[in-house]
Amino acid sequence: MSILHTESLTKVYGTADQPIYALNGMNLAVEQGEFLAIMGPSGSGKSTALYLMGGLEKPTSGKVWLRNSDMSVLNDDDLSKLRRQSLGFVFQFFNLIPVLSARENVAIPLILDGVPRPEALKRADESLSRVGLQDRGSHRPSELSGGQQQRAALARALVTKPDVVLADEPTGNLDSRSSDEVVQMLREAVDKWGQTIVLVTHDPRVAAHANRIVFLKDGKIVDENHLKGEGKAEQIREQLSKVALS
Amino acid sequence: MTAKTNDRGAAMWQMTLMGLRYLNGRRLRTVLTTLAIVFGVALIFTTNLALPSVVNTFKQSMTAMTGADITITRTSGESFTPDSVLPLISGVENVQAVTGLLRRQFNIPTLGDNAFGNSGQLELIGIDTTSAQNVRQFPMSEGRFLEEGETGAAIFPAGIADFAPQLTLDTRFPLITAGGLKLYTVVGFLAEQGSLSAPQIYVTLSDAQAAFNQEGLINTVEVSIDANADRSAVIAAIQQVLGSGYQMNAESNAAAAVGSIQIGLAIFNMLGALALFLGAFLIFNTFRTVVIERRHDLGMLRAVGATRRQITMMLVIESLIQGVVGTVIGLILGYLLAVGGFAAMGTIYKDYLNVTLPPIQVNLTALLLASGSGILTALLAGYLPARSAGKISPLEALRPSTVASVERAARWSLIVGIILAVLGVLLLLTGSKGAAAGAILFLVGMVVAAPGLVIPTARLFSPLLTLWFAREGDLARGNLVRQPSRAAITGSTLMIGLAVLVMAAALVTAFTALVEDLANVNFSSDILLTPQSVAIYNNVIGADETLANRLRALPEVETVGTLRYASSSAANGQALQVLGIDPNEYPQVASFDFTEGQAETAFAELGSGRNAILTSLAMSTLGLSVGDELVLDTAEGPQTYRVIAAANDILTFKVNAVFISQANLAADFHKAEDVLLMINLAPGADETAALANVQTIVNDYPQFTAQLTGEYRDTLVKTSAGAMYLFYVIAFLILIPAALGLLNTLTINILERTREIGVVRAVGGSRKQVRRMITAEALLLGIFGSAMGVLAGVAMSYGFIAAMGSIGWTVPYTFPLMGIIAAIVIGVMLALFTSILPARNATRLDIIRALQYE
Repeated sequence: MSILHTESLTKVYGTADQPIYALNGMNLAVEQGEFLAIMGPSGSGKSTALYLMGGLEKPTSGKVWLRNSDMSVLNDDDLSKLRRQSLGFVFQFFNLIPVLSARENVAIPLILDGVPRPEALKRADESLSRVGLQDRGSHRPSELSGGQQQRAALARALVTKPDVVLADEPTGNLDSRSSDEVVQMLREAVDKWGQTIVLVTHDPRVAAHANRIVFLKDGKIVDENHLKGEGKAEQIREQLSKVALS
Repeated sequence: MTAKTNDRGAAMWQMTLMGLRYLNGRRLRTVLTTLAIVFGVALIFTTNLALPSVVNTFKQSMTAMTGADITITRTSGESFTPDSVLPLISGVENVQAVTGLLRRQFNIPTLGDNAFGNSGQLELIGIDTTSAQNVRQFPMSEGRFLEEGETGAAIFPAGIADFAPQLTLDTRFPLITAGGLKLYTVVGFLAEQGSLSAPQIYVTLSDAQAAFNQEGLINTVEVSIDANADRSAVIAAIQQVLGSGYQMNAESNAAAAVGSIQIGLAIFNMLGALALFLGAFLIFNTFRTVVIERRHDLGMLRAVGATRRQITMMLVIESLIQGVVGTVIGLILGYLLAVGGFAAMGTIYKDYLNVTLPPIQVNLTALLLASGSGILTALLAGYLPARSAGKISPLEALRPSTVASVERAARWSLIVGIILAVLGVLLLLTGSKGAAAGAILFLVGMVVAAPGLVIPTARLFSPLLTLWFAREGDLARGNLVRQPSRAAITGSTLMIGLAVLVMAAALVTAFTALVEDLANVNFSSDILLTPQSVAIYNNVIGADETLANRLRALPEVETVGTLRYASSSAANGQALQVLGIDPNEYPQVASFDFTEGQAETAFAELGSGRNAILTSLAMSTLGLSVGDELVLDTAEGPQTYRVIAAANDILTFKVNAVFISQANLAADFHKAEDVLLMINLAPGADETAALANVQTIVNDYPQFTAQLTGEYRDTLVKTSAGAMYLFYVIAFLILIPAALGLLNTLTINILERTREIGVVRAVGGSRKQVRRMITAEALLLGIFGSAMGVLAGVAMSYGFIAAMGSIGWTVPYTFPLMGIIAAIVIGVMLALFTSILPARNATRLDIIRALQYE
């Protein structure tokens, strides 16, 4: 059974006269332990899909199921609780609170959830060492490199052992070396701890680390790739341009 | 899934920690915001520490010590005939003995060779030698007791040695009386210490009656009761036979003095409240900026699972921290101010009001009032922005805010703000007590409308701007218009400071004009004889008619007009000053500013029957109008007077005063002392020579100071103008945080646009152009803030003056043109001045680093 699935998920922006379908009836199932990448041209609705799955936005119609619960019926407080207990997020920008140390940033979801501070900080340290930042716990975000900041953000996403980690262009702002590091970490989380990850990216080299890629266009899934064999990145690039031109 | 351990304390602690770090990250701004709270709390605390102490001191200094079981006075403190009262009291069960006294504490000149050291007050106690000794013991330490009917003999309590060690047995000393200086001889010393606040002198009742020009009258009854009697039962029984015109064991009635201090208390508390209002505004503004600044952080917290309440709590905690810190510092500062103020004022009080100030004691009421209002202000001001922070959607972390939503918000705030402002203006136009509320409402409306006003104002003034800043003006305007809410915040901060300045200017102009008008109108006499304290006459010993008659006999003198005083109260208990004037003479030496009724008829009517002219303050406090009846508590019981006019003069316009004829004052209040004398000289008389002749006579009455009226008026106008400048001082104190707020916002604006400035530089903008762009932006902000400040200032000054008019202080409203010009100049200069530093920082930015700035 899938851990997360959507049912004709639709998000409409704009007015009733001129509706803009950011997402148009998307059906998607994510399996436990799967590393899924969502790709598509600009404006295809990939980020919207991620926000809806993460409960950051309410769908116009359709449903999102996390395990057995329907997220579309939850109120704001319940959604907040769900986000801090069962979901993890990594964004492209503004991931960390500048006045908090890396360790405190990682501990935030736990602390918000009422875990006593010493325990929360201990678990934050564990999570930081998983992403190789065990020496950087006391540093402020401004004292970390871009790659380190994204790894700290990943540590925060993993610290609650969430059902699903949602990552929105986590490498979009990084040089290729840091980008590789971050993707390695994501892959490791899937392989070592069976973490489920949904990743939005436009970078075929990043997507190549996933188990499966879905391609979105105009708010609909138009293609899929189960990534078998060699030359994945090249294969993806071709598929992507095909989708864009279709 | 996380185990559900419900530790809300950890989350709270984390929020507090984050609050502290954020505050620490913007230290200057934190200090500035906190300063606003400090200022308000200090003002409220110091006021409520100092003034009640002064009130108590006044009351104590006027409360005589007594060895009797029960002391009875009239509620007004005025005198009465013993025959109607003493037999009634003697008839009460368990009353052992009764005696009548005439006693008064009064101011004496402290300068020159008076017999009582540096004491500024003296209490003269006239006792009936026989009956007094039945009521209490007078153990003598030296000499003898007073003898029945003797005159010119005085005995002192032992405590006199502290004031006047030179007084020994058989010493002769001069004493100020209504009949001029009289020589007394010390015949004995009491074993008891006596009052510590002022020297007490015991004389025979007849001597005291002569000294106060109150033949046959007493003002106090002392009673001794049977040893095993129930004191409260006896008091109740006496109260019943005497009625409500009398009171038992009361503190002496110092209503006028205490009343004017309480007005001071109210005014200072209002200033404190205004300062806190401003503080609230600054905190509100700062937190609005904070919410905009931290949009990404807050969105991120929401995304990782913080609830709306947790976000709101975080910001509320932050404002609470500032509130608590500001309050604590404010309390300390307020305490120091009170102590310092007492130290500085101590000598003035001693010399002019004859009061020794006690050490400052912290009372719980002041502590609770000041700290409560400080913390509450911070909380309330922080709450609204905190709530809006809670509403930030998690997606804010990922996107810049869309222009559409900003514009929509701006339009809404414009509509709501204009509605509030219009309501405010309508309230203002009622010209009643609601006018002040209308002014505040208008101010709030302006603040709310500010974001919507930024764009039109910028459009309106940009042609002007392009004259100076042909190339950079458009960019500057664009920057302002793009973030209307931030420009509005800055503009509003400046607005408040300038509005207070305009209001101060208007109040000063109006009050100075009022005082000058009143002084010119009221003092049409040539020479003035003033007592030790003017307008507070309880503690004054006046003169009997011999002084006025001697003056009238001078060849240079044409008319002598006098003022007499008694204290009274209206049926509702409101304390009133009753002033006796001669309806024929008084209009010649002074005149009233009539607000109701006619001068021509009023004086004639005053001379016939029980008619009264009231100050407009008294009219409004008592809710009376011309033709109504006013029941006054008099020595002869309640008497009904008819209100024939409302009028003010300079000495009474801030007092609840009732003018009646001197004949009525003598009949109803048994008072015939002149407490203020005004002299008109004959045509062609030489002022200087006349003053010298008057002075020779006044030498026998050292309780008076003779002065040319012109000199006195000038001093009075100057003194009150000096007091008025206090308003300017406060206005400037309020401008300081406003200026620093401006600096803060400009700096933040530049910091947040670092990258854009980099772009401007990268595409070829010179350093000078960047600086000019920022200067132009500051100039626009300055104009915006000044324009709003002037509008709000005019509304506030009009509102407060109208509100004052409705409580009887009719002050002419003068359009504060000078204040407006000053406000515009100061506003624009302030904006330019505060832009210097941010502009310099912006021009020094390294282009590459600026482009990489996040």
